[in-house]
Amino acid sequence: MAKRKKLTLSALKKQERVLGFVFASPWLLGLIIFGAFPILASLYLSFTRYQMVGLPTWIGLANYRSLLFNDSIFWTSLWNTFYHVFLSVPLGLFVGICLALLLNSRIRGISIYRTLFYLPNVVSIVAMSFLWLWLFQPHFGLINQVLRPVYDFFNMEPLGWYRDSSLSKMTIILMGLWTAGGSMIIYLAQMQDIPRDYYEASEIDGANSFQQIIKITLPLMTPSIFFNFIMGIIAGFQVFAVAYIMTQGGPGRSTYYYGYYLFDKMINDNNMGQASAMAWILLIITLIITLLALKLNKYVFYLGEQD
Amino acid sequence: MQMSEIKKEDKMPILSLKQKRRIKNGVIHLVLISLSFIFMFPFIWMLFTALKTPAELLAGIGTLLPNDPQWSNFRVAVTTVPFFLYLRNSLIIVFFAVVGTLFSATLSAYAFAKLTWPGRDTLFVIMLATMMIPGQVILIPSYILYNQIGWLGTRLPLTVPYFFGGGAAFYIFLLRQFYKGIPRELGESAIVDGAGHFKIFIYIMLPLTKPALLTVSLLTFMFVWNDYFGPLIYLSNPDHWTLALGLRGFQTQFTGRYDLMMAAAILVMLPTLILFFAAQKYFIEGITFTGIKG
Repeated sequence: MAKRKKLTLSALKKQERVLGFVFASPWLLGLIIFGAFPILASLYLSFTRYQMVGLPTWIGLANYRSLLFNDSIFWTSLWNTFYHVFLSVPLGLFVGICLALLLNSRIRGISIYRTLFYLPNVVSIVAMSFLWLWLFQPHFGLINQVLRPVYDFFNMEPLGWYRDSSLSKMTIILMGLWTAGGSMIIYLAQMQDIPRDYYEASEIDGANSFQQIIKITLPLMTPSIFFNFIMGIIAGFQVFAVAYIMTQGGPGRSTYYYGYYLFDKMINDNNMGQASAMAWILLIITLIITLLALKLNKYVFYLGEQD
Repeated sequence: MQMSEIKKEDKMPILSLKQKRRIKNGVIHLVLISLSFIFMFPFIWMLFTALKTPAELLAGIGTLLPNDPQWSNFRVAVTTVPFFLYLRNSLIIVFFAVVGTLFSATLSAYAFAKLTWPGRDTLFVIMLATMMIPGQVILIPSYILYNQIGWLGTRLPLTVPYFFGGGAAFYIFLLRQFYKGIPRELGESAIVDGAGHFKIFIYIMLPLTKPALLTVSLLTFMFVWNDYFGPLIYLSNPDHWTLALGLRGFQTQFTGRYDLMMAAAILVMLPTLILFFAAQKYFIEGITFTGIKG
């Protein structure tokens, strides 16, 4: 009897090994067809000249060379993108963390507040761009109207926001903070895992709320901060649609981001070789930053390390 | 006598602690209310703008509220572009994307959570890593591939990949957390009863994780409904345009007419807003309370 049970158990195990692949097969097939194959293909294409007709011709490193050494627009777009990423990611993290800390309180109506702060995230990028085009409109827009007393006080011209090439990138960054509530959810999820007795114990020891945040909440939140940091950088490097709709890359290429240039190379020039090379340069940049961030990973504290 | 004295002394700090907490909560409420106002005002301003006349637009905050609400702006918005055609196109793509995501994400999440098979843990790490790959790397060869098999200009590139776990890494991760939370004994007893994993999956896992399925459906709905880049690249035929893509037509057609642009933008936003409010309990609490550890 016992022997038979053992047999069936091992049979079940064997069955599980097959079933695992069966259950995962849609995703596994997708990983190969829509993941692995395109990645390898774009690596190959980046070493070729290919304009959507005929066959790709191998040209070695020529695409990379011309982008890196003979293309000032490439560098402009890269600079614009770095500017965007290095300001929007820390600002977004800061606002997201502050919101999450506030929304982690146990007060009445907290779920209503959570809903409200998350709300901008359900708005499509087109609707959002329309809205902020109007809000930042230099002459009749709400923001400049509200700021008019300030302008008058300092005796200065109203800011041109997205129409001013020195402010356009900043305008898009500020507008992005409206959706900081998206990362808030991830932080809140992590905060729920922090045991209540940590706070109770520290309260008995006389810690105030600020000390609790610095000494308990923030250290235990580092994994989700890390996650949002990486996701923010990856999303930041791909900024495109906002500029496409709001500024068309202008004024004077000031919001002509890397993703925009890649889009133009691909759709308008049909220059698939150079576009692929740009995609791979982007992949390498994000990889380097992620690896640098992983070095900071030793400061990331994993609660319990269980599971 | 002595006892009561001690009690009295004990009560004092407790009361003040309560009061302290009440003050603290009051301050938090105040901060949250003012912040909510800042976060919500763009929406309110959007609605006000949509109801204004062009003359009122130029007056800015001089006329905060529209004097004579121009509800006809909404009619203009739906009649100057083929709004209902775009709506239909959006719904078609969203429908297949949601069905496809549910199909592929639930099955693979079950495989990752409840089955033991070779390579599982490595593949799980690979799946998480795919979230970190910039979309452009995959975009170009996919575009070429779709061109060669004649899918360019059709809805297929925007629907078929979802049946193969396209963009589903986060959802698989989320569902795996839910499935892991379901006690093993529940499945084991079913196996002893002779039920296979497919039966467990369909009759135990899916019904028990309805909130998670709803969350995944909603997130997919919103992503696909709002997606701008995909339709821009793949839908060359205006008859296939989605609302997000068609909305942009307003910008060129109504330069400076922010009243009409806002009216159209509100109409495009409305379905996601309604869905979000209807399901926000599952949505935010669902993600928040599953936790992200493990």
